[in-house]
Amino acid sequence: MQEVSRRELLKLGTVIGSGALLGEAASLLQTASAQGMVEGKYEIQLPENTIYTSCLQCNTGCPVKVKLYEGVASKIDGNPLTPWTLYPHLPLKTGITQLAKVDGSLCPKGQAGIQTAYDPYRIRKVLKRAGPRGSGKWVEIPFEQAVAEIAKGGKHFADIGDQRTYPGLEEYWAIRDPKVMKAMGDAVSAIWGEKDKTKKQALVEKFKTDFKDYLGAMIDPDHPDLGPKNNQIAVIWGRLKAGRREFLDWFFANGLGTTNMHGHTTVCQGSLYFTGKAMSEQLTYDGKGKYTWTGGDKFYWQGDLSKAEFVIFVGANLFEGNYGPPLRVGRLTQGTVDGSLKYAVIDPRGQKAIKNAAKWIAPKPGTDAAIAMGMMRWMFEQDRFDARFLGASNKAAAKQIKEATWTNGSWLVKMKDGQPERLLRASDLGLPKLKKTHDGKEVEFDPPLAFVDGKPVVVDPNSETTAVFGELFVNTKLSDISVKSGLQLLKEESRKYTLEGWAKLAGVQASDIEYLAKEFTSHGKKAVVDVHRGASQHTNGFYNCATWFTLNALVGNLDHQGGFVKASTYDVMGGKAGGPYDLGKLHPAKMPAFGVSMIRHGIKYEDTTIFAGYPAKRPWYPHASDVYQEILPSAAQGYPYPIKIMFHYMGSPAYSLPAGHTQIQAMLDPDKIGLIVASDIVVGESYMYADYIVPDLSYLERWEFQGSHPSVIWKVQPVRQPAIAPIPETVKVFGEEMPISMEALLLGLAEKLAMPGYGDKGFSNGMAFKRPDDFYLKMAANLAFGEKADSSDGVPEASDDEVKVFLAARRHLPASVFDETKWKAAAGEAHWRRVVYLLNRGGRFQEFEKAYAADDLIANKYGKQMNLFFDKQATSKNPMTGKPYYPLATYFTPYQDVLGQQLRDPGYGLTLLTYRQITQTKSRTIANYWLTAIHPENYLLLNALDAERLGLKDEQQVRVTSATNPKGIWDLGNGNFKPMIGKVKLVQGIRPGNVAFSLGYGHWAYGSSDIEINGQVIKGDPRRATGIHANAAMRVDPVLKDVSLSDLTGGSVVFYETKVNLVPVAG
Amino acid sequence: MDQSRYRVKEPPILSSTEDRRAFLAKFASTVFAGLVAPGAIAQAQAQPAQSPAASGVKEGVKEDVLLRMQREVEKALQNPKRKWSMVIDLRKCVGCHACTVSCVAENRLPPGVVYRPVSEREIGVYPNVTYRFVPQPCMQCDDPPCVPACPYDATWKRNDGIVEIDYLKCVGCDKCIPPCPYGARTHDYGDFWTDKTPGKGEMPYEQLPVYEWGIKAEREADNGPMDKVRKCSFCLHRISQGLLPQCVNTCIGRATFFGDATDPSSLVAELIKQPNVMRLKEEKGTNPRVYYLV
Repeated sequence: MQEVSRRELLKLGTVIGSGALLGEAASLLQTASAQGMVEGKYEIQLPENTIYTSCLQCNTGCPVKVKLYEGVASKIDGNPLTPWTLYPHLPLKTGITQLAKVDGSLCPKGQAGIQTAYDPYRIRKVLKRAGPRGSGKWVEIPFEQAVAEIAKGGKHFADIGDQRTYPGLEEYWAIRDPKVMKAMGDAVSAIWGEKDKTKKQALVEKFKTDFKDYLGAMIDPDHPDLGPKNNQIAVIWGRLKAGRREFLDWFFANGLGTTNMHGHTTVCQGSLYFTGKAMSEQLTYDGKGKYTWTGGDKFYWQGDLSKAEFVIFVGANLFEGNYGPPLRVGRLTQGTVDGSLKYAVIDPRGQKAIKNAAKWIAPKPGTDAAIAMGMMRWMFEQDRFDARFLGASNKAAAKQIKEATWTNGSWLVKMKDGQPERLLRASDLGLPKLKKTHDGKEVEFDPPLAFVDGKPVVVDPNSETTAVFGELFVNTKLSDISVKSGLQLLKEESRKYTLEGWAKLAGVQASDIEYLAKEFTSHGKKAVVDVHRGASQHTNGFYNCATWFTLNALVGNLDHQGGFVKASTYDVMGGKAGGPYDLGKLHPAKMPAFGVSMIRHGIKYEDTTIFAGYPAKRPWYPHASDVYQEILPSAAQGYPYPIKIMFHYMGSPAYSLPAGHTQIQAMLDPDKIGLIVASDIVVGESYMYADYIVPDLSYLERWEFQGSHPSVIWKVQPVRQPAIAPIPETVKVFGEEMPISMEALLLGLAEKLAMPGYGDKGFSNGMAFKRPDDFYLKMAANLAFGEKADSSDGVPEASDDEVKVFLAARRHLPASVFDETKWKAAAGEAHWRRVVYLLNRGGRFQEFEKAYAADDLIANKYGKQMNLFFDKQATSKNPMTGKPYYPLATYFTPYQDVLGQQLRDPGYGLTLLTYRQITQTKSRTIANYWLTAIHPENYLLLNALDAERLGLKDEQQVRVTSATNPKGIWDLGNGNFKPMIGKVKLVQGIRPGNVAFSLGYGHWAYGSSDIEINGQVIKGDPRRATGIHANAAMRVDPVLKDVSLSDLTGGSVVFYETKVNLVPVAG
Repeated sequence: MDQSRYRVKEPPILSSTEDRRAFLAKFASTVFAGLVAPGAIAQAQAQPAQSPAASGVKEGVKEDVLLRMQREVEKALQNPKRKWSMVIDLRKCVGCHACTVSCVAENRLPPGVVYRPVSEREIGVYPNVTYRFVPQPCMQCDDPPCVPACPYDATWKRNDGIVEIDYLKCVGCDKCIPPCPYGARTHDYGDFWTDKTPGKGEMPYEQLPVYEWGIKAEREADNGPMDKVRKCSFCLHRISQGLLPQCVNTCIGRATFFGDATDPSSLVAELIKQPNVMRLKEEKGTNPRVYYLV
């Protein structure tokens, strides 16, 4: 008798509901492909059933292999070709048959990614709100209708009694001629460059005359530097990687010409990135041929654990978070067990990594720079620093001593009223300027100076031939100007307190600081401080990071094996090789966006026409970007101008940001932010406030190029590619079938608006841009081609057998995603076999041995100057105080408002901390039932001493309250509130005076509560609603009142400073 | 019913030289040819004392310990007298639960069934605090109390040391559950992860066949595990293919080791000889095949 399995019954079953959610349409996915059982083989382990791609359960993005069974992702393991999952990793040339038999390691989230892709709450069709924003009422609408409405604008919500006319892209794509936009941008640059107020005004008047035909397209003709109305279109994102980033650029920047494309960096570790930027600025030629500080990278360094002997982890959660457990944990467990590596953990919470640590030091939150300053004092006093390295004042000097980098610590600083004013320049001493040739032109520049043999000597930072070795500690007068070296200033700053004094500020023992300093200076260059968001997400975050980074410079460990290292990735844009597809040059009508951004970044407030004295209405960020917390409140306030159409991509500002309820408030009123369109896979905590939610592809269904992390010394570029059939429904754009996705939305809008850069000859080389793969396969082709014009460093071509396996492994993908002919055409026939080779391996990864170079250096070097004195900071002003930014590492007191005023919050006694446990990634992993089975809820961790003092018991329910949230609630808008209540857990592993909760729980959306689609209630899953999310207790800035606290220098939002109370809840 | 088996229960005995050659061609050479320099293999075998786990210094790291163990599994498959053992180095366990989840994914475990839980314990008083994480798979005891408890002969001790369950014979009476001092056995009550959601327990990954014990079966079929008692099989279906058990493979701290304890050159054999080795609940007389380094 033939048995009918439940599986087969399923195929016969009828689909109920509207099919808007995946769960209602799961059986549609049961596409029986030809995949069958092969006698004697474990079929999911075979190469023809494996696709190599990249995880995105967190941003570590481990390269993975997705093992398929009848087209279903049945198991995910690590891709052993990569340093993430195997150590040492296998060489790229490994044959794919062998490769299939080796699995690399992966964390539990990576293992559970299948449940992200097949989450029953995933949306498959476009949802349009059927009630006020945030009401949880939706109707599904055809994709084409959504595209038309977003493009054209109109009374989209008249049927629910809302007579407003919603803006459409057509109107705000105001300036469409790139030449006009370029001319306007140049005119605005001139306005900003003019310091004289009257002359500045005259330039504004000239702008109005020169562009009189276009004034209607400007946001405010009297303030042309706000830019055109195009800037009133904004796109903001959470997790966005290369590929999709450029896809967004193509549409929003190159196409629509808006300057408002902003990421989420400051909610992660913005101040860490922007410390890296300040320290990597180079004194050289900028893009316009001007000799100035330029080229600072938004990046940071981390420790090379492959060779380090001693590591100090500051606010870095190595076993559970960071970048990331599979990548870094193995080095620590092996090293600590075999004795080749020791590490210390600085964290107020006893994170899991204290288990293998030589020392756990738990400072008061936000005071860790005091520990670093104490170490600095000890190191200067004991003469335990790398004087040889620090003495190199320029590139030639570094070369002479076989170093790859150098610092400006020996450069002279001009003092004013006892304070560092800026770098001393030759002209200050009446010395002649230097002349340099650049691009065939002679350029003059005013060089900095160092002190050599009792005399000031000019320093040409990038000179390959004239080495300057400056004295380290200089304190003198030159031509009546008081000057000091940067290192002298650091030494003096470190002597501001005794070791005991610094220890007291941090709430630690002086002996702890001494231990750290001694150990740190006992391993040559194989000792390193590795800093992450625990140090960065404070009001003093920038200076915390700068102080720890400075310590690394003091032992000269930059670019050294076991030292302070940076990420290296292979180019995907084709710029380095100049092809095969130089995507930076392939847009036929690229719009040069200009104007003040909505978050007021990268520009000096004083230079703009809206300068109105200090303090500014809201902060400006001349040295940071992607200031996430400022986006929605600024848009709602209309400062510097209102935002009319806001696109959201894969983020959750309401859930992820401190004081997230302020972000909700900003989104509620359509009169404040005109139209909100969101792209995501599930209706989450933030996008529930959108007007439209357009379903997206999960990480297992789409393209991206994941990039790398600072601790990875190998040059790499993992590829994310479609591994399973798409979940969202299929639509037609440009005559091509494709799944609804972020890409389909933008392609659909481009088609509707007839934007240049899309269609049959969308690329300026005449190639078509009609499908997402038309774009991504060009990037894949670039990656496979290599970085040399002759492609001599490209990947090999796939053999016939490899091509066969490549095709077989994709036999479950529908033509809307994979079509061999179309992919080949998109990549170019000539490059196809290289692309196959690349995709068969999930990217490109440098061989293990090749990351190590001679002289104990790493091969993929930073190789530039590291600033210990930040001249750009010194010469710019904090727009809230009107005072210059402090230009060196130091310790500032945490918990300040935007005006730099100390906050106290009397009556609130505990400092609120957050952390990651390895089973959750903030807003988007609660759908993973395999993970919630391990930790079904989270807790408020409290030291048992505090609990006793407060009379709290284990498992007791408490409400979290703070000075700006005394009721302890989430205000969700529309009269809905969620109490902020959680369970206390008594532990020893936390510094008394603090309370910590792990992120990822306490959801109010994302399938945790009921929503209504087409009048039908979709029940929420109580497993997704457990635990507490206490971000709404985090301090709202008392001056701005609509946003959390921020680091005004580095841009970071503040996570670890708010004073709270735990109030017992009856029952 | 035997058609659904993709591999015989007991490992093949390789009698003739030809068989052996064919075996080698199929497994060992296909995996490692070209991956690892022959010298590295020779060195690893010649100098067992310098195993990465025991004394390896990073300068000398030539290959990931996973590759060595996988090679040893393939070698063991040629040894009819092999006895599988597992060693868990508690010093290297970071309590990440990757093994737990990886096992759930690999063996399609439903809610309520877990083969390899990891317990977490905080030890000490602030500021002298540490943690202990203890993974606990089935101990594959040499004197397993669960086996005699089964009234249906549905569970037995294999020659290779693994305690097996035959789902065709198991009736889910649960009599084997209480005798196990390690709580290694759980009953599959037929739940699905997305029951009570719009997915109704029918999401694609919930419909996949199970490969446990080397038998490919639908979960709800007669030879499948639903309504039966389940436990860790050391991923028999993987090791018979020359792969490591999932928990070993995915361990990010490289804390779990696996191999043939009868092969003195194997990593597990070396580790079992370490002075800091122990077994759980030794006093129960179960003779576990899972060892811990402390």
